Amino acid sequence: MNKIILIIPAYNEEETILKTIEKIKSFNQKSKIIYDYLVINDGSTDATEDILTRNGVPHITLIHNLGIGGAVQTGYKYALENYYDIAVQFDGDGQHDVKSIEFLLKPIINNTADMTIGSRFILKEKDNFKSSLMRRCGIKLISLVIKLKTKKTILDTTSGFRAVNRNIIESFSEDYPTEYPEPISTVYALKKGYRIEEIPAKMHSREGGTSSITSWKSIYYMINVILSILIIERSKER
Amino acid sequence: MSWNLRLAIFIFSLGLFIIIIGFLRSKKIPIKYALVWILSSIILFFVALTPSFSSGIANRIGFEVLSNLVVAIFLILLLYITLVLTMIVSDQRKKMILLIQEISLLKQKVKEVEIHEKKS
Repeated sequence: MNKIILIIPAYNEEETILKTIEKIKSFNQKSKIIYDYLVINDGSTDATEDILTRNGVPHITLIHNLGIGGAVQTGYKYALENYYDIAVQFDGDGQHDVKSIEFLLKPIINNTADMTIGSRFILKEKDNFKSSLMRRCGIKLISLVIKLKTKKTILDTTSGFRAVNRNIIESFSEDYPTEYPEPISTVYALKKGYRIEEIPAKMHSREGGTSSITSWKSIYYMINVILSILIIERSKER
Repeated sequence: MSWNLRLAIFIFSLGLFIIIIGFLRSKKIPIKYALVWILSSIILFFVALTPSFSSGIANRIGFEVLSNLVVAIFLILLLYITLVLTMIVSDQRKKMILLIQEISLLKQKVKEVEIHEKKS
């Protein structure tokens, strides 16, 4: 039996975090597989910490805000220390669907992939997730750069919904990009020769909070991401 | 070079040198960061001391006026110092992230142990 943990980064998610936890709890009650979960409170300034403590939600509170990359890496370190076989990155703002997790897990359990990414673009029906044209273009451009760099196609490059096996937990604990972690960590994993599979996953529009990628920052974001991908060293390869 | 300018550079370089040595003595900065500043003050001092020789070097490189060479040297030194500082900041950022993560993980562990102890 695989030990599975959901790593849930949360920064000022007081409105949504409990809903997300409730969904996981009710899933666990009905399901044969039990998902452990751990909220990484990324130095929230709102009542997130209070809510987590009062409701007995397992969580780690970062003593200072680190950003999504540093928060998620803390989760991987926890997973490594506590002998988890599979870690799933799961958003605290209600974007990701608990029921989709098992589809992400399957290729990892069957050992046909080391990492799976929940993708918004493999499903034909696009009614679940609305994003701006600009944003979709950006994601496509990053996808193209990743293809140039690694010769692999990753469609949903900014998806924060992903599952990884023990090998990648180890690798990410040691070295995880703190800036623009989603696309960069994907390239890290590809460069190290890990197998990545994209799985169609439903995603809801955000229930609360604001995306970490706001429109006026997006061009700056794009330039940074593309440059970072291009300069990732060859030494990352195994 | 005018005597006024020479005197000014003289005083400035000496002042810089004394300040840096003072910083070193009071352990405000480590020697490896101070070295480039000491070097700067020595270059300036040398220029003020030997204007005709320095002018010769400046002319040979292609600077028409010695002061331009001095400015150019300082620009390069400042760029270098900024670059080194950026590197130091990045390195410290990495260490800080590591510290925050490890302390937070430890804190959580301690809390868990405390709750466990209270129960038993």
